[in-house]
Amino acid sequence: MFDDRLIRVDMTNLTATAEPYPEAWKLLGGRALSARILLEECDPQCDPLGPDNILVMAPGVMSGTAAPTSGRISIGGKSPLTGGIKEANAGGNPGQDLMKLGYRAVVVKGQPADANKRYALEVRKDSLEVVEADDTKGMWNYALIEHLATKYAETASFISIGPAGEMKLSGASVACTDADQARRPARHAARGGLGAVMGSKGLKFVMIDPEKTPVRRPDDAKPFFAHTKAYTKGFQDSPKANMFKFGTSSIVPVANMLNTFPYKNRTEGQSPDVATLEGARIVESFETRGGGMHNCMTGCVVQCSNIVHDADGNYKTSALEFETLTLLGANCGIASWEDVADLDRLCDEIGLDTIETGAAIAIFMDSGEMEFGDAEGAKRILHEIAEGTELGKAIGNGAVSIGKRQKHARVPVAKGQALPAWDPRPLKATGVTYCSSPMGGDHTAGLIVNPGMPPEQFAQASQESQLINAACDSSGFCQFLQPTMPEIAEFYSVLYGEAVTREQVADIGWQCLLDEWKFNEGAGFTAADDVLPACITDEGIGPDHSLKFDVAADIVAQAKAERFPEREELWTTKATG
Amino acid sequence: MPIVLIPPPYRGPTGGQERIEVAANTVRACIEAVEAAHPGFLPQVFAADGEPHKFVKLFVNGDQSPPEAEVAEGDEVEVLAAIAGG
Ligand code: SF4
Repeated sequence: MFDDRLIRVDMTNLTATAEPYPEAWKLLGGRALSARILLEECDPQCDPLGPDNILVMAPGVMSGTAAPTSGRISIGGKSPLTGGIKEANAGGNPGQDLMKLGYRAVVVKGQPADANKRYALEVRKDSLEVVEADDTKGMWNYALIEHLATKYAETASFISIGPAGEMKLSGASVACTDADQARRPARHAARGGLGAVMGSKGLKFVMIDPEKTPVRRPDDAKPFFAHTKAYTKGFQDSPKANMFKFGTSSIVPVANMLNTFPYKNRTEGQSPDVATLEGARIVESFETRGGGMHNCMTGCVVQCSNIVHDADGNYKTSALEFETLTLLGANCGIASWEDVADLDRLCDEIGLDTIETGAAIAIFMDSGEMEFGDAEGAKRILHEIAEGTELGKAIGNGAVSIGKRQKHARVPVAKGQALPAWDPRPLKATGVTYCSSPMGGDHTAGLIVNPGMPPEQFAQASQESQLINAACDSSGFCQFLQPTMPEIAEFYSVLYGEAVTREQVADIGWQCLLDEWKFNEGAGFTAADDVLPACITDEGIGPDHSLKFDVAADIVAQAKAERFPEREELWTTKATG
Repeated sequence: MPIVLIPPPYRGPTGGQERIEVAANTVRACIEAVEAAHPGFLPQVFAADGEPHKFVKLFVNGDQSPPEAEVAEGDEVEVLAAIAGG
């Protein structure tokens, strides 16, 4: 039905070729596809920044179709931050555009002989080419895309790295251009340092030009479009749909109430600066400055992404998310959302994960070398990262790196990766995810916001959440659409014109987790790594500092030991990240 | 009696309980009845001015409803809190 192919890029010999996509993998996309390729083709013991690591760029199964909110792309590889397998997921249009051309993944291997050279991959309808791109060396993401916009067709989208990726810093992100006409590099596959893997391969950017290629559609398109229309209408008509109409920044007050708005390197679960950090302030700014909500990728009906303008009405950044407001704001004791917006823009420019970088700056502050709340100091640090100073590199390499430099013990990470805003002390089942997930401290692996959950339910709830999120990140649907596995199965069925069951979708999610755990085992991970640090197990937050992560190791082990028997809740559990 | 459906983020005070039957005849009275049995629940729903927090929406049998809406035997009062990751 689809003439799908896989792009293989050899950065040692600077070649790019297409090969037929295996029919047996047709229901594998995004994260599950990345995991399968890495398990089959990548030595888990390899140097993450060496030629043997593999960088995978894999759109989800539904990407490139007219299904709503379905064009996400997974970036995968062995993480220089965790030393294990990593998948980071992004919106924007590259996933859509690759799939319109029938490319299910880009698999990048090898390394150029000259580490000072920069290259680009050009993906067009009828050609694939690795070309020299030395003129883009060191460019910040926004300037890079402005430059590329003058060089390539207006139908093209881009995947790129900033200076942090070129310097192979472990906090480096991979940027994807959004759906706006300006094609801003504002959507980042941020976590795990995959920008450094891209940088280690000398690959500065990927250009994908689908020209006017229409959306991907099955031969018998009628049932597909009918289902897509009905699902979209059902979503839009639901009064619950507009709960997220102002994006994730609107979560700040409720997160603060739940003690999961970390303050000053997670020494408190609540910040006194909620009023100046909450999303309502951003929404108010739309009135006087412009900006507003938009869809980060074509066809998104949730439209949770904000565009933030400065006081003069000029574009400043997008999207200013809850995680960023927390890690670069409250967690650094920075009180103003406008300062966080500046920091967010700098991170997007330099190509940095806002979570890892915010956590690293907070650790630096906590060690006594900078005052909490010093927003200008934090901005200076980001410039130092771009300049490659010794301090800049120590912070750009993430939380563990700066903790070592400062000989500071309070380093809140899981498997070497900074914990996101969602705190495992009030949200213990989420803590079980951080411990047991192959992804380490990553809320998108299986977030459970239920502070009243009894301990005996943690393991199964975490496993189910990990399973649906793995299935979702393989489908191309955004986690903010919050699809269930039966809904994903219905879309697969109408896309392929054959019955795909919810059980098959669950199996794909589970197999993805198995592949990832197996990779990590090969990389040397053991149960001893499935833990959280003392600052999370021994230091409390909340009332009387009583909230600690005190979940027994056997509960963590249960979440990954074997698959729990299916229960009805599995089919109603929504993806959430 | 009406039943209050507690969203997962708000189950701290209810000790994990998802559905709580209450003797009450308005949405507000339902929330107050849950508060009486599970202190700490109401402030999650209503701000200091007595109005629902901006991030909370209230539904009766699936229809968005104000706090003063009347409820009857068997009605489901659903509290929804805007929560997603990010
Ligand atoms: S829901 Fe938000 S993050 Fe997801 S695709 Fe839409 S705009 Fe992007």
